[in-house]
Amino acid sequence: MNTFFLVIGIGLCVLVFFVLYRVVFGPGVFNRIAAISAIGTKTLVIILIMGIIYNRIDMFVDISMVYALLNFIGTLAAAKYLEIGGEK
Amino acid sequence: MIRKTDDIIIRTVARILVPFIQIYALYVIMHGHYSPGGGFQGGVILGASIILLLITHGLVETTKKISERAIAIFSSIGVFIYAGIGVLCLLLYGNFLDYSKLSVILNVTPAEARSMGILGVEIGVSFTVMAIMISIFISISTTEDHSKYDKEHY
Repeated sequence: MNTFFLVIGIGLCVLVFFVLYRVVFGPGVFNRIAAISAIGTKTLVIILIMGIIYNRIDMFVDISMVYALLNFIGTLAAAKYLEIGGEK
Repeated sequence: MIRKTDDIIIRTVARILVPFIQIYALYVIMHGHYSPGGGFQGGVILGASIILLLITHGLVETTKKISERAIAIFSSIGVFIYAGIGVLCLLLYGNFLDYSKLSVILNVTPAEARSMGILGVEIGVSFTVMAIMISIFISISTTEDHSKYDKEHY
């Protein structure tokens, strides 16, 4: 069962790089913000999978919740910055 | 400048989410010695909840709830709790932050006094970190004296 989660974790790590392409070269700022948000969500799942592999899922759930929260606030702050920049 | 958002979805979601974030921050502070987290991390989450309010509801509406004067006082209170517990241990013939000497005051065994002393120090750290996070955010997002600006837009 551990191998199963390891393979899924490595697959998600590879998928992060595909989204990272969209962050670096993506046309427009909205693509970049959406891609950064997607990377945050993938990182959250990777943290949970690490918790399953280390058999400490009760500890890693706390970390992933904080990560989701800060990801939400960060996305909101970036969108807010854009909103003000668009008016000028 | 921290400006008020007109979007009702963002404002409502932020208003509903803020109490849950603060309860989670208290959980992180209180369980700092069992699970990942502690005073600093809990303080950062508490600060993030107020920063979420600042982003969505604007500077004027948020400083009605927690004024900048209160933020400065909170940061001092946190340092006072931390240093006060440390000096209290010094006065009881121990080293600085030697919690086991607190067992005389708290009337418990030295091991339990250690646990309670660490909890007190973490509460002090979380106060200071929360206040300084909000203070930094307000400082870098307002450039001039923001009290003279139009109250309706900020």
